[in-house]
Amino acid sequence: MAIAALPPPATQTGVGAWLRKHFFSTWYDAILSLIFLALIFWVVSGIWTWGLRDAIWTVENRDACGHGVGACWAVIQDRHRLILFGLYPYEEHWRSTLACLAVIATMILSCVPLFWTVWRLPILWIVGFGTFVLLMRGGFAGLPLVTTEQWGGLSLTIFIFSAVFVLGMPLAVILAFARRSSLPVIARVTGIFIDVFRSLPLLTILFAAAVVVPLVLPDWLQGDKLGRVIIGFSLFFAAYQAEIIRAGLQSIPDGQVEAAVSLNMPFWSQVVDIQLPQAFRNTLPSTINQAVITFKETSIVTIIGFFEVMASGNAVVGTGEWGQQYVEVYLFLAFIYFIFVFGLSRYGAWLETRMRLGHG
Amino acid sequence: MAEHAISFGKLNKYYGDHHALRDVSLDVEYGETLVVCGPSGSGKSTLIRCVNGLETYAGGTLSVLGHTVGDDERELEAVRKRVGMVFQNFNLFPHLTIVENCVLPQIRGIGRPRAEATEVAMAQLDRMQVGEHAQKFPDQISGGQQQRVALARSLSLNPDIMLFDEPTSALDPEMIAEVLDVMQELTRGNMTIICVTHEMGFARAVADKVILMADGAIVEQGDPEQMFTAPKHPITQEFMKAVKS
Ligand SMILES: Nc1ncnc2c1ncn2[C@@H]1O[C@H](COP(=O)(O)OP(=O)(O)O)[C@@H](O)[C@H]1O
Ligand SMILES: [Mg+2]
Repeated sequence: MAIAALPPPATQTGVGAWLRKHFFSTWYDAILSLIFLALIFWVVSGIWTWGLRDAIWTVENRDACGHGVGACWAVIQDRHRLILFGLYPYEEHWRSTLACLAVIATMILSCVPLFWTVWRLPILWIVGFGTFVLLMRGGFAGLPLVTTEQWGGLSLTIFIFSAVFVLGMPLAVILAFARRSSLPVIARVTGIFIDVFRSLPLLTILFAAAVVVPLVLPDWLQGDKLGRVIIGFSLFFAAYQAEIIRAGLQSIPDGQVEAAVSLNMPFWSQVVDIQLPQAFRNTLPSTINQAVITFKETSIVTIIGFFEVMASGNAVVGTGEWGQQYVEVYLFLAFIYFIFVFGLSRYGAWLETRMRLGHG
Repeated sequence: MAEHAISFGKLNKYYGDHHALRDVSLDVEYGETLVVCGPSGSGKSTLIRCVNGLETYAGGTLSVLGHTVGDDERELEAVRKRVGMVFQNFNLFPHLTIVENCVLPQIRGIGRPRAEATEVAMAQLDRMQVGEHAQKFPDQISGGQQQRVALARSLSLNPDIMLFDEPTSALDPEMIAEVLDVMQELTRGNMTIICVTHEMGFARAVADKVILMADGAIVEQGDPEQMFTAPKHPITQEFMKAVKS
């Protein structure tokens, strides 16, 4: 705060003037500013001393854990593999890492406008997911087979999230258009489907996918449990996202489609070139919001026996050995979630500026 | 080649109970400029929106450049490839740049390769004197400029017929002239044009034929001199008096 203590600058546009205008313009502003300054200082210095200065970083020093005042990051050093990879076989962790990177790279690439064409995006995702599944599953070229029951940790979380997003989004688009269909039967049936899936708790849907569906469907149709769970999750996501997209479609003036029709643009082009870009642009904040919620909700698959990153973290503190270090473990997990969620919302903000939403 | 560019035969149209077009019969000749006048709600928009199939009709016949406008999608497509339309609210695609607004319909609508489409688009934008704004987005230019872009967008598809639905009604007064000027230039060519407008000075200057609609029917048609100076029907007389004052 050395800046605030400087004598007032000669002009009224300096940092001092800015501070005075925004934080110290009246006496109660000044008091509030000082209180919050003290609070911020207290929190930051607390984090600094506990989390960094006095922290124990390595397993060799673990005896100090619990006695000192600092954080015990040794638990992360010791157990990061469990958190990141779950039950995936230890020697094969490199595969999980690569697979995870493949999906993250696909996610990042599909955020780049260069890939936003009818062909590039699907091809990108098929390649990305293909790489993920081949690497994770193995069973060829000397790579030992690892079945989906053993998949786990961060790569499972990311895989579930991106699969749900990538399957759910096209489905949401189809549902949104179907619900606006001029054929009453299609519109009605779609409406019921959407409302049912929105009114069921996600947990129920996932349970049904994991446990009930195998009882009903013949063996050859059941597929893999993870696959079923992802499909159930995608339907749930699609039901919500469809309503978002429908709202976006409704906000487009009729004249847009009329112009496209009179320019002889075919129906698919009216949808892909005119309606969808505008619908997404109009509903970008809600869509990003839905993506963030979905990312966080992936942790629910723990309950039906998948060992995603949250469950792995629980397992670390569940063993007596590191039972005292739950704060550190959950902070680490929170940090991982934060990176993704923060990335998503920054991306959303960037898109908004790019699409010049701010200009109305 | 069909006898008339556009031929309406006893066309009827309903919106629910509302009888929007009543037995409209009208021929538009090749290269002719037809001006449609009439009070608000008289069915002018409905009439021209039938021409490229934006509206369906209930009874009667409508043929455009020899194609029957009706349920047949192939015929409709053939018509839309040759009929351009300019709207009151411009209806530019707000998420695309000006040049892309003109290029994309050519690629999707008539399958023109992008390079050629870009060339055509730029030529039309220059002709409409908005070429310098090619890389901007629609909301970055004025209403008059947007309407000229809309015109360039339609012309990029080389239509034989142009439909204008009150192209200057949404414009600030000082921009009306710049749009009418480029439209006037169009009427000198051999394009067939139907224009709904309240700009009587413009109508008189460019029209080959004027019709007046009221309550879904054509109440009077004639050449512009007669229609503007010596209208016969009382509704026309009243309307002309109203727009002149
Ligand atoms: N989509 C519609 N649904 C119901 N009524 C309509 C619709 N479009 C137009 N109308 C009605 O049809 C009549 C003619 O409309 P329109 O052709 O737009 O008139 P104009 O262009 O001459 O002002 C008006 O009374 C209008 O209210
Ligand atoms: Mg109208």
